[in-house]
Order: sequence, then structure tokens, then C-alpha cells
Amino acid sequence: MKRLVLARRETTTRGGQPLAFLVGLVFALVVGAILLRITGDPVLDVYERMWDRSLGSQNTWSDTFNRAVPLALAGLAVSIAATMGLWNIGAEGQIMFGAIAATFVGRLLPDAPGLVLIVAMLLAAALGGALWSFGPAVARSEIGVSEIITTLMLTEVASRLIVYLEQGPWKDPDGFGFPGVTPRPDQAELGTLWERTHIGVLIALAVIIGFAWYLRRSVWGYELRIAGSSEKAAAFAGISVRRKVLGVLLVSGAVAGFAGGIELLTTTTGKLNVQISNGYGFAGIIVAALALMRPSGVAAVALAFGALQVGGQAIQTNPGVSPAVATILQGLVLFGAIGAAVFSTYRLRLVDRQVAES
Amino acid sequence: MQRRLWQILAVLLAFTLVAAACGDDEDDAASGSASEAADDTTTDSASASEAADDDTAAEDAATDSGGTSAVTAGFVYLTETGDAGWTYAHDNGRQFAEEQTGATTLTVENIPEGSPEFDTAVRDFIDQGADVIFGTSFGYMDAMEALAAEFPDVAFAHATGYMSNDTNFGNYFGRIYQARYLTGLAAGEASASGNIGYVAAFPIPEVIRGINAFTLGVKEANPDATVTVNWTFTWFDPAVEGDAANALLEGGADLIAMHQDSTAAGEAAEAAGARWVSYNSDMSAYAPDAYLASAIWDWGPYYASVIEAVADGSYAGGAYWGGMDDGIVQIGSLADDVSAETTALIEERAAAMIASEFDPFTGPINDQDGNEVIAAGVVPADGDLLGMAYFVEGVIGSAEG
Amino acid sequence: MTVPAVELDGIWKRFPGVIANSGANLTVRPGTVHAVLGENGAGKTTLVNCLAGVYRPDEGAVRLGGREMSFSSPANAITAGIGMVHQEFRLVPTFTVAENVVLGAAPRVIDQGGIEALVADLAARFGFDADPGRPVWQLSMGERQRVEILKALWREANVLILDEPTAVLTPQEAVELGEVLRRMVAEGRSVIFISHKLDEVVSFCDEATVLRSGATVAASLPVAEVDASELAKLMVGDVAVEPVPVAVAMPGDPTLTVDALSVRDARGLLAVDDVSLEVRSGEIVGIAGVAGNGQRALTDAIAGLEPVESGTITVMQHDVTSAPPQRRFRAGLAYVPEDRLGVGLAPKLPVTENAMMRAYRKLRRGPIIAWDDADQLTDQIIREFEVKIGSKGAPLASLSGGNLQRLLLGRELTGEPDILVASQPTRGLDVAGVRAIQRLIVQQRDNGTGVLMVSEDLDELLALADRILVMVEGRIVGEFDPRVATRADIGAAMMGGSDRGTRPDTEEVSS
Repeated sequence: MKRLVLARRETTTRGGQPLAFLVGLVFALVVGAILLRITGDPVLDVYERMWDRSLGSQNTWSDTFNRAVPLALAGLAVSIAATMGLWNIGAEGQIMFGAIAATFVGRLLPDAPGLVLIVAMLLAAALGGALWSFGPAVARSEIGVSEIITTLMLTEVASRLIVYLEQGPWKDPDGFGFPGVTPRPDQAELGTLWERTHIGVLIALAVIIGFAWYLRRSVWGYELRIAGSSEKAAAFAGISVRRKVLGVLLVSGAVAGFAGGIELLTTTTGKLNVQISNGYGFAGIIVAALALMRPSGVAAVALAFGALQVGGQAIQTNPGVSPAVATILQGLVLFGAIGAAVFSTYRLRLVDRQVAES
Repeated sequence: MQRRLWQILAVLLAFTLVAAACGDDEDDAASGSASEAADDTTTDSASASEAADDDTAAEDAATDSGGTSAVTAGFVYLTETGDAGWTYAHDNGRQFAEEQTGATTLTVENIPEGSPEFDTAVRDFIDQGADVIFGTSFGYMDAMEALAAEFPDVAFAHATGYMSNDTNFGNYFGRIYQARYLTGLAAGEASASGNIGYVAAFPIPEVIRGINAFTLGVKEANPDATVTVNWTFTWFDPAVEGDAANALLEGGADLIAMHQDSTAAGEAAEAAGARWVSYNSDMSAYAPDAYLASAIWDWGPYYASVIEAVADGSYAGGAYWGGMDDGIVQIGSLADDVSAETTALIEERAAAMIASEFDPFTGPINDQDGNEVIAAGVVPADGDLLGMAYFVEGVIGSAEG
Repeated sequence: MTVPAVELDGIWKRFPGVIANSGANLTVRPGTVHAVLGENGAGKTTLVNCLAGVYRPDEGAVRLGGREMSFSSPANAITAGIGMVHQEFRLVPTFTVAENVVLGAAPRVIDQGGIEALVADLAARFGFDADPGRPVWQLSMGERQRVEILKALWREANVLILDEPTAVLTPQEAVELGEVLRRMVAEGRSVIFISHKLDEVVSFCDEATVLRSGATVAASLPVAEVDASELAKLMVGDVAVEPVPVAVAMPGDPTLTVDALSVRDARGLLAVDDVSLEVRSGEIVGIAGVAGNGQRALTDAIAGLEPVESGTITVMQHDVTSAPPQRRFRAGLAYVPEDRLGVGLAPKLPVTENAMMRAYRKLRRGPIIAWDDADQLTDQIIREFEVKIGSKGAPLASLSGGNLQRLLLGRELTGEPDILVASQPTRGLDVAGVRAIQRLIVQQRDNGTGVLMVSEDLDELLALADRILVMVEGRIVGEFDPRVATRADIGAAMMGGSDRGTRPDTEEVSS
């Protein structure tokens, strides 16, 4: 008698991760095809359209690229904290507060020239994100309160704060009494590169490359790695773990807040609202995990993720896959990726039943 | 709701990874964006820009059934269609219009307000040849304005907002307050205690106007009755809506009215042995014993008329605020125990409104504090109705939420 | 002929870039203690890990009592009767002895007292002293090892694997361990004893299998019939093993002065109690003592990793009593901690990043590290200290124990320190590794560095040290001149205060 067990691999092969990702993708497509057969949807049409509407045609690259920007920055924020083994679960809230800070500057300097305003708003957004992670950072570094809980809770606070601003102090006087914040000044809009792909794509890419490089090459990045490795080792090397915890969470928050600034400067409506973060902060955790917590990997993963979101939405309208099935398909791809990640670390083995059970 | 799901998944993932040794990666589901279906909007008041005309479209709508229009129409919905509620009513309208005109229709559900997913959806529709886009949630307004400017050859019609232009971007809504007033007549009679509860979404003019019209109807039937408002600050959240209804029922209410998108309040009333006035569509199936009456939408003829106008090139944006005369708002079925006299009264008032001879807000009307806000004999202008921010006499609660 | 208890037949195990086992064989008869001998890196640990379910062999068969097995996890192997005591213990520090012993294999009804009684019985059966109610973090390394052995016995291990078990033991404890092992084999169990210390093998074991470069070079030699030098030759091949030459010390000025130092441990007890000592340049001061008598707290406090209760620490005339570790390093103090991987090194980080841990502040250009210089430094350490690595970018954990220690020592010595504090620097290393490290330490001394060396291997201290201090219960209880002192003298001093911790029954009464 044999049975299957999951066993940890002793070694992980180089390049195994992308390969595993592909295997996971194929798995998802196969299971998805079965599902679509059951629901009576045209399998090939669905897949073709998912591809066409995300990466397959130049016309739709913009949506995918633009979507990838906040995903990548949020993923970067999470992975920066992860270099020290910290979990910034609250990137969502930091994105929101970054957008709040940017909106504040927009209200403060409504007549500033576009470029000045854009730079000021982006800086404010980064500062705002850092501010939003300041409490959790101090709580973690000084008294050891888990940053997972605090950052997550502050997300809820940020979203309530936006609702309050919409209904109260920042309510648009031209809004006929409806809740809603006054739009950002017209000149505060990031331009486009081609079609609707906005300059934020370049900015985000630069930020990611910059951080990946800086973390790898700098004294700061090195000290983070040592401090994340063990407290004693850090003490040995003369590194203050507390200061590093504080610093890394603030930087992580700043990057997430920056994403909020980019979103505010590119959103069609020009308005701060609770959807400004659109789940990017949470998705960023997945992006970072898929990128193996390496800042250098988040751009590629975010692009794939953005494509999945955009493509998954498109199959609803045509050929009319029900939104539930569309969501399941997206979930399957992610599930496949997770599974692939698991199987790059573990493998299935057939073992002798007696041994397994004895 | 979905966002919450992603959130939970993401956090679980994080904990899993924390627990597992590092090195394994994984991930999971959360695409943030699929997210958030939940709340939102049906906000709205209609055209602030003066509601003026009914003429825009409705009229020439829809007479020739089974048309062969070459028009393609895209509908963006905030929530899933479901089988009751706001989006359901719109989707019924879409199906009606599709049958009437022969147009091709496209739909997409679960598109959050203010998220880039709306843009993506609309561009996708346009790439598929859409000639007209219907956005059925208030929060789509800003994005629709921008997209209307970008695509001058595509018609944009936005439900419940106040923005428009006079070429390709219009807004549309209906005088649901008229139907609410009629349900108030039935409710005033049905409530033995005179303690009526109202589960309401957001303190905005659209909702306030509905509460006031309903209360005017209630007090006409029972001058001593009161309407107590409980704000939920959500359009769609069955748990919250049910809790709000229960709180009112525990406070002694024996009838629940609502401005919400789920049937939860009705189910709460049913469980408590109380009565219920539903909204959006005739929801009698969800709480057969509690159900009394409903204020309902019939968007079909309007959608058909816009599609016709787009087909012949006459669509020109603007604002549309139709009433019972257009049939866009109606009163649903009445429960069997509504008395013959009240039924007759409702029918009479409905007929008067259809003939444009009567408006529930005809003065004299006092506000909550007893101050006269509409003088005797005056029928307020649409602009006043659209900006209504006070409660009338008989409403208990704050109009500021 | 009886069926062997264990047969490993033609085991191959490859890791990226390394072949750990190339057709290794091992046959263990029931009721024997079987030594697996070999240098570090010879593949001993990998081979037994294949038996313990930690690894799966790429090729070859694992047979227990004649039946072929395929373990997918250590849990499988445990249920099949294989118990393993790893070099790094796997205990939950906050749990009691009894809780650790039964963890994951507890009887259905958990009753604290009952379990403790059962564990105490088990311990008594094999001649262990163990207080089952004590939390593990309070135990010395030797005591923890016994808990590990009890764990395996509790799970009714029929084959017990001990990986370098005596590395953490005093000579006396090692003798006691030998007695325990004899009792186990007397009950028909088998013991696999991994070691590179020939004297132990000769005194404890019935048979020996020698591995070299991943393959078996001699199988199941009857230990009684071969002599130790024969075994040594088999282990190292043609390389001659010479003792480390030690010249006469020429002590100079004091480099490290510890005055009336007291340190409290996590329990709040005095782990170091009023210790005063001095290390002068050009001498090796050895600290002998049974494991867990405050040696670790003493060296950690000197290095700045443990706060000081009272007293002073002076390095080269600088009072560093409350200085952070880095300042002490700059003052001339190098430290090789007992816990190499957890304290001295970061196992997941690349070799280079470990090599530069002390020096990186000098390798910066503005906020950026001068990686070329860091690589150069690493190359220099690797060259000078003969560290064998795969690549500088590979995680440190991929290095073998001996190479880890060379890298660590090399890194600490690159600053040309005035005083080297080394805690158990040769523990767990193979013969060649031990010799290399010892030679380096002596060389430092000859160059005028003061050395404070903690070791639980008395022979090592007798061979290298110029003075030996004996530490018992946090105090220095005696000083010996190794040229004249005998093992017995020092051993007696080590037992001096002697009813201490390792006699749990007496502690139980007193606590």
C-alpha cells in the first residue's frame, strides 16, 4: 500500500521559482477550463480575451501597466519591511493616508505651477505614508507590539478618515450636498507616456530599481539584513535593532504612501475617496510574497498581477462570464502560483503505507 | 465585501508565512481590486442641473417592440445583479430595452466607485463597439464626465448624478418620492402603534426626500404617527441593515420602511411579526407576511428611449428626472389587508400624479421643529427638492446623520 | 548471522555542487555501539540523516531489521524506531524536561505529575539524573543532551543516533554517557555514535565504520582489534596528524583585565560571581569547567553581549564595562562566541556579508558599501585561513562547521586584535579542523595577542594554555599550571563545588 505525503525538499533549484510559477499557471488554466466547461462558457474565447485585454494588445497595455504601478509599489513597501522579517500589513491604509496628504497639499497650494505641485504632492504622500506607519513603528521598536495588528487597524482608521473628510471639512462646495472631496487642482496631473500609460510607470520603476539597488548595496540595507538575521548577531556587529525596526517601517510606509500620491495624481476623477487604494495594499502582500520578498522581483510580479486583474474583469463583459466565475478564475491563477511556490519547497512522494502509519 | 475577503486572505497569508519558515513563498489570492462591491451608491439626486424636462427621452421610447437597433449599450453595475434591489431593477430595465430595441447590451458587475476598474470597464465596452454607456451608481460621475470628454462619439448616461453636458453626457433619475408617498399612505393605516421605523442609507437629499414624502403619506393616514430614522451609512450591507431594523423594532416600531438595497430589513420585520415597505423592486417574496407595499423602479422604458435616441443621433445629454407620469417610478403590489378606502386613495393620488395634478410636497409643510418650510399652496421647485436637507414634521432623527 | 539492525547500502546523496555521499555503506548489528568516524565534511552527518528521515538518499537502500524503508520525514523515521540527537539540540527552552521529552508523543491523558513521574522512571532506568520539572533553558548543554536522549528513548527508539555527542560534555560526563549507552545496548538497542575523537571511539564503541570523502573506507571494524592510529590514518588518508607545537609563552602587558565581575542570567541568578582575571599579551589563559558553570555568561559579558551586574572590564587600558560590542572590538577585543551561527554569524546571508560584519563601517563610501573592498577582505580571509567555500555569494549556512569557524576566526583576527576571547572554538570540528584552529590560536599568542579560551575539552587546554582557570558555579575556584598539573587535579577542581546542578535530586530538595 502506498500513500501520498508532502515532504520538504532539501534543496531548491535555482530558477525553480519562475518555472514553478508557470506550472502553477498551467494548472490554473486547466482547472479553470474544466470550471468554464461546467458553467457552459466558451473556454478558448475566455482565455483569448483575458490575454487580449491585459497584455495581448497594445491598446490595453495601458490599463495593465497603470494597474501594476500601485501594486508594485505596495509590494515594494511590504518587501522592504520583510528584509527585517517585519510585516507591513497596513500598506492599504498608508496608501490612503498618502493620498490624503497629497490632497492636503493640493488644497494648500491650488495655484502652484503643475510640476511644483506634483513634486510637493508626491513628497507629501510619502511623508504621509511614513506618518501613518509611525505609530506601529514606534510601538514595535520600543515595546514590541506586533506591527501586523497595528498597521492593519490603522487601515480601517484611514478609510474612516476619508469618509469623514468627504462629509465634513473637505466636502466639495460644488457637490450639491453630496459627500465628496474637492478634486485636485487641474494642473496636478501626471502626464502620459503613450496612450494612457502615465509617467507613474517610470517613476515606480525608478523607485523599485533604486530601492532594490540601495538595499543590496548600501550600508543601511546591509545593516537591515544583519538585524533581521538575529538580534545577537546585530548586537555583535554593533547595530541597533530598535533603530532599524523604526527606520524600515517608516520607509515601508513612505513607499506605500507614495503609491497613494501617484494614484491621486492619475485617477480619472481627480478625487480622494476610500477606493483610492482599491485593495492594492493587500494585494501588495501577495505581490511581495510571490516575488519571494525580494524588492527586485515586485515589478514583474505586479505586472502579471495587474494583467490578471484587468483580464479577469474583461471576461465578464464578453463573452459574459459571470463575475463569480471570473473571480474564481483569478483566484485559481493565484492559487496555482501559491501551490507552485509550495511545490518548489516541498514535493509529493509515494511512501510505504506501513512506514507512514506505523 | 469582496475587499474584506481579500483583506482576510492577505492577513491569513501573512500569518501563515510568519509561521512557516521563511523561504517559502506563496501567495494568494488577493487581488485587491476585484474588490469591494459593497457599498455604494445609488445615490443620488437627480439632476441638479434642473431637472426640468421629462422630455428628454422617455417619451418616444419604446413603442416598437422587437426592434433591430444596431446600437450597442454597455451597463456598469456597482454590485452583482442578484434577484432584488437596485442593480436588479436596472438589469431588468436593460433586458426590457434589449427586447424593445434589439440593441446589443453588455454588462459588468462589481465595479467599485472611484476605482480605475470603472475606466477599464468603459474602455473595454467602447472597444467592443459600445455606442452608449450607462453607469448606474453615483460615484461613477466624475469618471463618466472625464470619459465623455474623451469619447465625444459615445453617449454617456449616468444614474443619480448631477453632472451633464448638452452633447453626449446626461444624467437620469426618477421621482421615487412620489411612490414613497403612496406607500406612506398604506403604512399610516397599517401601523397600529403609529411607531414606524425607517432604515436609511446616507443623509443626502435623495434619501431625505424619500423619508419626508413617506412621512407625509403616513401622517395623512394617521396624523399621530411618527417615523424614526436609523442611518446605516451603507447602501448594501445585509448585516448592518438587519441590525438597524432590529434596533427600530426593539424600540417599538411595528412597521419598517427602508432606503437600502438588500431585503434584510424585511426579513427582520418578518421575524418580528411586523410590517415592511420595500424599495427598488417588489420584494414581497422575501417577507410575504410582513410585506405591505413597495416603491419600485421601472428603468426599461427610459433605457429603451435613450437607445433609440442614440440610434437616430438625437441624444444630447442633459438631465432627466422622470416621475410616475413616465412610469419610471411606480408603486408595487399592495398587501391583501390594505383597506379598500386606502387602496382607492392610493389609486386616486397616483392618477393625479400621473396627470401632473398633484405633488406630495405641496404646502403647507412644517419641518421637524414646527417651522413652516413650504407655504400653503406652494409646490417647491425641483431645485429645492433636489437639495432638500431637512426633515418634515413627524420624522424622529437627525437629517445630518 | 543475525539480521543487522540497520543497513545503509550504497547511499548516494548530492547537493548542488557537492556530493555528500558517494556509495556509502553502514551496517549496524543489534546490541552494539557503532562508531561512524570521519573528518568533518566526510559525509557522516548526511549519511545518518538519510537514516533519520531528514534527507532522502538519491540512490541506495535503507533497511531496518532487513526490511527496506523509505522515510519521507523525520517523523516517519521516529515511528520506525530511529532516534537522533543532533548536534544542535531541538528543545523548547521554556518547556520543562518532561514536557520536552513527551512533546508530540504525549500519552492521551496529560497529567503533569504523572508524566514527570514516567519521565523520571525512564531516566532512572538508564542511569540519568534529570529533574523532569525543570525548564530546559536552565539546563547546561550536557543536561540538554540527556533530555534529547530521553526524548528518543521515550519514543522507544530502537536505534539511537548521536551526532558528535561528547562535544558538549566534560570528561566525566562523557564517561557517564558511555555508561548510559552500554545500558541501552544491553537492552538490545543499537547506537550509532558519530565522532572524530578516537579515544572516545576506542573506549565506547564495539565497531567502527570510517568515512572519507563521502564513501566508506572501512566498514564495521572491531574496535578492540584495531589501534587508534590505524583509525586515524583511515580517517585522514595520507595526511599526517601532528600535534600543535606550543612554544614557551612570553607574557607581556595586560590586554584584558576583568575585575570583580558579576553577571546575572535570565533567571536572575548570578551566572558570573565576582570573577577577577587578567590576560596578558602573548599568553593563553584557559577556562576549564563543566558546561553551564557561567563560562558563556562570562565571555558574553566581556564581549558586550550581556549586561554587567557589577565589576569592570578593561581592554588595553580602556574601561569598556558598559561599551557596546563594536567599541570593544575597536579597542582590540575579538570574540569567537560559543554559538557561532546564532551570535557570531548570520547563516542565511552570503559569505561576504558575514566576513565583513566587523569591518563594514570602514568599507563604505558614503551610504554605499564598497563591495570590491568587501570582496577583497573576504578573499583575504578565505585565503589566509583556508576557508573552503562554494561561492562568496552563497549563504553562509552552506559551509561545513570547520569552515564556518575558520571564517569566523579569520574575520575576528583581521583587525589584529590585542585580545582574543574564544569560547569552545574547536567544538564539533574534525581532527584537521581542530588542529588548524588550535594552530591559529597559538600563532596569535606567539604574535603577542592575549587569548582567553574557554573549552570543555580539558586535553585541549592542557595542550595549549599557559594557565588554566577552573570555573565552577560562576566563580574561579583555582588556577593551574598545565606543565605541572594533572588531569586528575583539574578534574577534581572542576567537581569542586560539586553538588551543583548536574545532580537534580539534590536540587529538588533544596528548591
